[in-house]
Amino acid sequence: MERAGVGIIEADLVMDAGPCERDIRSAARGNGIRFQNVSMSFGGNRGGHPTLAVDDFSLEVAENEFLVIVGPSGCGKSTLLAMAGGLTQPTTGRLSLGDEPIVKPGPDKAIVFQTFSLFPWMTVIDNIEFGMRLNGVSPAERQRRIDYYLPIIGLKGFEDHYPKQLSGGMQQRVAIARCLVLRPRLLLMDEPFAALDAQNRTVMQEELVRVWSAHRPTVIFVTHSVEEAVFLADRIVVMTRRPGRIKDVIDVRDTTGAQHWRAAPLDQVMRRSDFQDLRGRVWDLIRDEIVIE
Amino acid sequence: MNRRTTYLRVGQLGFGAVSLGVILFAWWQVTANGIVSEFLLPAPAAVFEAAQRLSAGYLGSSLTAHLVASLSVVLSGYIAAVLIGVPLGILMAWSRPVDIAMGPLVAILRPIPPPAWIPLAILWFGIDLPGKTFIVFVSSITPCLINAYVAIKEVPANLINAARMLGAGNASLLFRVAIPAGLPMIANGLRIALGSAWATVVAAELVVATAGFGFVIMSGYRNIESDIMAAGMIAVAVTGFIMNLLFREVEKRVIPWAEHE
Ligand SMILES: Nc1ncnc2c1ncn2[C@@H]1O[C@H](COP(=O)(O)OP(=O)(O)OP(=O)(O)O)[C@@H](O)[C@H]1O
Ligand SMILES: [Mg+2]
Repeated sequence: MERAGVGIIEADLVMDAGPCERDIRSAARGNGIRFQNVSMSFGGNRGGHPTLAVDDFSLEVAENEFLVIVGPSGCGKSTLLAMAGGLTQPTTGRLSLGDEPIVKPGPDKAIVFQTFSLFPWMTVIDNIEFGMRLNGVSPAERQRRIDYYLPIIGLKGFEDHYPKQLSGGMQQRVAIARCLVLRPRLLLMDEPFAALDAQNRTVMQEELVRVWSAHRPTVIFVTHSVEEAVFLADRIVVMTRRPGRIKDVIDVRDTTGAQHWRAAPLDQVMRRSDFQDLRGRVWDLIRDEIVIE
Repeated sequence: MNRRTTYLRVGQLGFGAVSLGVILFAWWQVTANGIVSEFLLPAPAAVFEAAQRLSAGYLGSSLTAHLVASLSVVLSGYIAAVLIGVPLGILMAWSRPVDIAMGPLVAILRPIPPPAWIPLAILWFGIDLPGKTFIVFVSSITPCLINAYVAIKEVPANLINAARMLGAGNASLLFRVAIPAGLPMIANGLRIALGSAWATVVAAELVVATAGFGFVIMSGYRNIESDIMAAGMIAVAVTGFIMNLLFREVEKRVIPWAEHE
């Protein structure tokens, strides 16, 4: 493992991780993701001005870490996820997952997209199964994973429905399930709960923590909700307005200590004053970046 | 279908029937009172009589024979157009080299209205089935090809990205994602093509034929029998209407997941 930065990540982990979390995290270190001076600009090839969407973004996300990115609309959050997922290549800079550069998309880097992306001609089951079929998962194993996740996403009884017959929130839950069944190394989620109502959102946040804890893929999670960020994240990256740069990185574990509060129900956590303090701190950082155009 | 939409549909149908009835009544009044001469506009009764003459057999062919004559041309030309146009459109949309190779040819041939091909088709293939089949083929390949092309080009990037993320290779992307995603638009092209095929065969039969509805209409014209002309036109309309209806039913069954009107 001759990889620059590993030492830093590890030191980080040892300092922040509790006794139970440390073992899991240091067991394998192949699934961390690194952004090295990543910039992305769009267009400009037909005489127009290129848009600099992401500007010199450098970050290391440790294996098994739950990283949340917040920032004003248009600051390049989705662009960052697309690059991490291998769907687009940065204009300059490099990304790597473990020891390998990220050059193409694949099932090890699962993405829950911000906008509708289920296959309309497939039923719920077919949508969830499609990725597993493509990757040669055996029928018995496919069935096992579906049986496991279908109740979790609350879609039992909707197996044979088409996406158009589901609500926006239900569709998004199918999109999450189709990623989880792949057991990805990296899970990229772009405002996955934005379409859910407040109650369902809370339930899904808690469920996500639960299913994530079982396999602990490295997560990069984008949200507009500061509360969601503070509840779920190990670390929160606050971005500046466009061109997106890192404004601040807040380590939630500094506040929670070894026992992360996301293991407890959200309504309980919300009553904690340290939770509310952190929430206020993050919100202040973001507020400065919001401009009404 | 729930009760509300059922009522709505019944209401719409009733309204349509009323407006059709008003037109028929006006037609009857106009001819019965001699406002328009029998020569220009035959009375409904005369047309009904002509339709009976048609179904008994007109100019050597029974109504069925005329129908079969027209339909066999339509189907042979249409099926050929579908089998060539759809795959070609998909291929052009999917592969840049094919697009570059075929694009200019398509761009030049497309603006030629199908009837303009009639003389050339007769010259090449004669006045029988092959010549007319060719004209139908030319008229219906355009919607097949264009819709297939646009359907594949406009598959949402999101779906392609999702499939790539899930591990789809090139073949899976085309056959398991792009083509199913484009199916509603491709089907739309097939339906337009069928209408266009039907219109074209009638046009071709007007010019040269020994049977078929176009031939019936033209014979009515030559023999100064406007009631036969009208009956032939009604036969064309009814057949076209039924074909469209059948197509929509098949479409609903084959693509149950799409939004249907
Ligand atoms: N394919 C593209 N072509 C051109 N410009 C793009 C493209 N994708 C994104 N951009 C631009 O890059 C910037 C960042 O976009 P991005 O979608 O990453 O923002 P975001 O932070 O996800 O915003 P939101 O919170 O609204 O989802 C925007 O200004 C957008 O206009
Ligand atoms: Mg976005």
